[in-house]
Amino acid sequence: MKKTWLLFLALFTMIVLAACGSADSSSDEEESASGSSDENWKPDQSIEIVAPSSAGGGWDTTARMAAEGFEEEGIIDQGLGVVNKEGGGGAIGWSYVAEKSGNPHHLFVGSPPLLLVPLNGQSEYGYEDFTPLANMISDYGAFAVREDASWDNLNELFDDMKDNPDDITVIGESSPGSMDHIQFVKIAKAAGVDPKSVKYVSAQDGSTMTNLLNGNADVYSSGVTETIEQVRADKIRVLGVTSEERMEGDVVEDFPTAKEQGIDETFVNWRGFFGPPDMSEAEIAYYEEKFAELNESEHWQETREKFAWNEMYMESEEYKEFLSEEKESMQELLNELNIQGE
Amino acid sequence: MGSLEGIFSGVQLAFSFQGILFVFLGVMAGTLIGMMPGLGPISAIAIMIPLTYNMDPPIALVLMAGVYYGAVFGGSTSSILLNAPGISGTVATSFDGYPMAQRGEAGKALAIAAISSFVGGTISVILLMLFAPMLSSIAIVFGPPEYFALMVLGLTAISSLADGSTIKALISAVVGMMAVTIGIDTQTGTTRFTFGNPNLLEGIDFLVVALGLFALAEVCALIINRKQTTGKNDSIGSLKLSKSDFKDMSGPMGRQSFLGFILGILPGAGATIASFIGYITEKKITKKPEEFGKGAVRGVSAPETANNAATSGAFVPLLSLGIPGSGTTAVLLGALLVMDIQPGPLLMTDQPELFWGVIVSMYIGNMFLLILNLPLIPYIAKILSIPRPMLVSLVIMFSMIGVYSISFNVFDLYLLLIFGALGYIMRLLKFPPAPFILAFILGGMMEESFRQAMTMSNNDITIFFTQPIALGMLIVGFLSFIVPILQSLRQKNKNAVE
Repeated sequence: MKKTWLLFLALFTMIVLAACGSADSSSDEEESASGSSDENWKPDQSIEIVAPSSAGGGWDTTARMAAEGFEEEGIIDQGLGVVNKEGGGGAIGWSYVAEKSGNPHHLFVGSPPLLLVPLNGQSEYGYEDFTPLANMISDYGAFAVREDASWDNLNELFDDMKDNPDDITVIGESSPGSMDHIQFVKIAKAAGVDPKSVKYVSAQDGSTMTNLLNGNADVYSSGVTETIEQVRADKIRVLGVTSEERMEGDVVEDFPTAKEQGIDETFVNWRGFFGPPDMSEAEIAYYEEKFAELNESEHWQETREKFAWNEMYMESEEYKEFLSEEKESMQELLNELNIQGE
Repeated sequence: MGSLEGIFSGVQLAFSFQGILFVFLGVMAGTLIGMMPGLGPISAIAIMIPLTYNMDPPIALVLMAGVYYGAVFGGSTSSILLNAPGISGTVATSFDGYPMAQRGEAGKALAIAAISSFVGGTISVILLMLFAPMLSSIAIVFGPPEYFALMVLGLTAISSLADGSTIKALISAVVGMMAVTIGIDTQTGTTRFTFGNPNLLEGIDFLVVALGLFALAEVCALIINRKQTTGKNDSIGSLKLSKSDFKDMSGPMGRQSFLGFILGILPGAGATIASFIGYITEKKITKKPEEFGKGAVRGVSAPETANNAATSGAFVPLLSLGIPGSGTTAVLLGALLVMDIQPGPLLMTDQPELFWGVIVSMYIGNMFLLILNLPLIPYIAKILSIPRPMLVSLVIMFSMIGVYSISFNVFDLYLLLIFGALGYIMRLLKFPPAPFILAFILGGMMEESFRQAMTMSNNDITIFFTQPIALGMLIVGFLSFIVPILQSLRQKNKNAVE
């Protein structure tokens, strides 16, 4: 008798806990019926911004800073909360927001993995499944080598790569077919390197810089900010960055672009906000206005400077077009690399 | 040169009112969070991040560091009392800590853990102060071939974790290694064994496996074999350690403070590998290896010294190179970036006050931890006198909260139940769970570094035998695997002759 009672208690605890997890989703459904199609839409509950990663990452920082900006500048008077839904390189967070179809109180932060992860067949939702609201900032890729490396610029590196692709190891954080790999291949291809010949190693345990410094890898493909400190310490050199024009700020202003080295290609690590599927015109207009206001605010300007982000504002329609072009060029590259989803 | 001045300003910062207050708050929050089964340093730091946004950066870093090593310090509690390790670094502690608590010596086990943690933490902070600038070069010595060899060395521990049948231990390890391949393959981006389920893309979290195989399996056993274990382990036992206990502890504490610190410096190795290697080396050194696994003093002391020493070690690459060596330090790095601190090779010269302030505060923090933890032990250990039905449901509840807080994903809770069931079945069939968890922790890194090395060498396997460090570790690993087998063969021959 007592034994069954205990098992029962244990089971009960589990059920209550499991129910806690899904409780919020059921209450949201009711909200979705109201609102919509009004000319002037306003949020009637607090807004949730999903960072599809753990706390501390780029998506998380963007989400938290935007929420703080909205509140401090008094742009949105509803409460704003940032929620981390990490997993699957973003896929877990995306599928969470996709299920919120019709409830415009759930937003998320997106960047190129939103195109690449679905293209690699690792997420059933892509950007087309969401409502692009506004792009806010951009960041760029950097290609770094050790201080004592024999290459002085990107062209020397790529020429060497054409002759001896097996001798040059490129290392990056993300898996093949994702950002660090693609940004390198995109520029290398424009310089005439066969994308498939690039020897790319992924190190997802944070050992990328270590492996560049100790000579296990020759080139490090990363974001610009990750390279700054080692450049200042004269341990590494940045051969090229993927931006259109020289970046502004200490140290980074000395990084040459691929473009000025005669390689006519760029890679933008854009970052913006998306809503769930099927948002009405009025809802989109509301967020467009608010994000535009945030973009102009002093708080956001300071935030950009603090994190060395570049301004790259796009409103919903423009963003959508930009994304479709980006997706096409990524698809092309992935096809050439023979990486395909499904 | 200026470094003395830097140390001085760091001491000033650490001993300022704010410095002492926040290191105290940090270690207290950390140790309390760490004690919860299922909540470890990552969750502790993640909880703290929003609080530090508007704080003075050096003070915020003092606080965060305190939370980090405080959580590692407290992490052993749930391993010892409930067999529910909250972080991978305290899995090895449960091997002997839990049997000791079961024997009615919970107070003693917790005291050993606290003292060993304190010694490991303090010695390693001193090492950190003396050698941090020089040690940054060690941190980058290890590349994929070396890591592969280190993982192989770690895996040879399976034979010493086998409690009875070696074959069963090996099977358990192989299944553990298979479980870790689930998810997106890091080197090709292909998905493996996910059955199209997006929840499995990131693989299975360590915590799900650890809490399932250890805590939930234990709970199942408690519920089902209720009659066999009555009353005895409700007692906490004396806190006092005898002279011979101290004698037993001194060896492991001395050795593992250094070994743990060095392993902590290596990015990726960290507290987990330090605690396992600490456990194994002590088992190999001691004259009474048969006591290990049944509540040996050294078996608690070694991993606890090593994991706390490794925690200080992890600050070497973080502060002197800007390289995070583990998941936790990666979160910490993210938090630092938010506060506008960019750790890197120049941090020590640019912001000596911050660099040395944190290190000195770690010394103070370790004192606080010991003072906080020792008097609390009788109260914490009382957990065991909670009536069994309540204790069982509490363990289940905390395990589920711990797992849910990793990713807020209900799917993980189902996985936890599956691993709980698997753990109980393994127990019934006498398959030890320790090799499973060891292979799960080491296997992923072993595979990744093997394949990275192979890509770098253009598929030339000699890369593992031409690097001196890698070769050395592989030889040691091979010997520690083959020697016990030869010994037992000789023993058998002897017996046969007689």
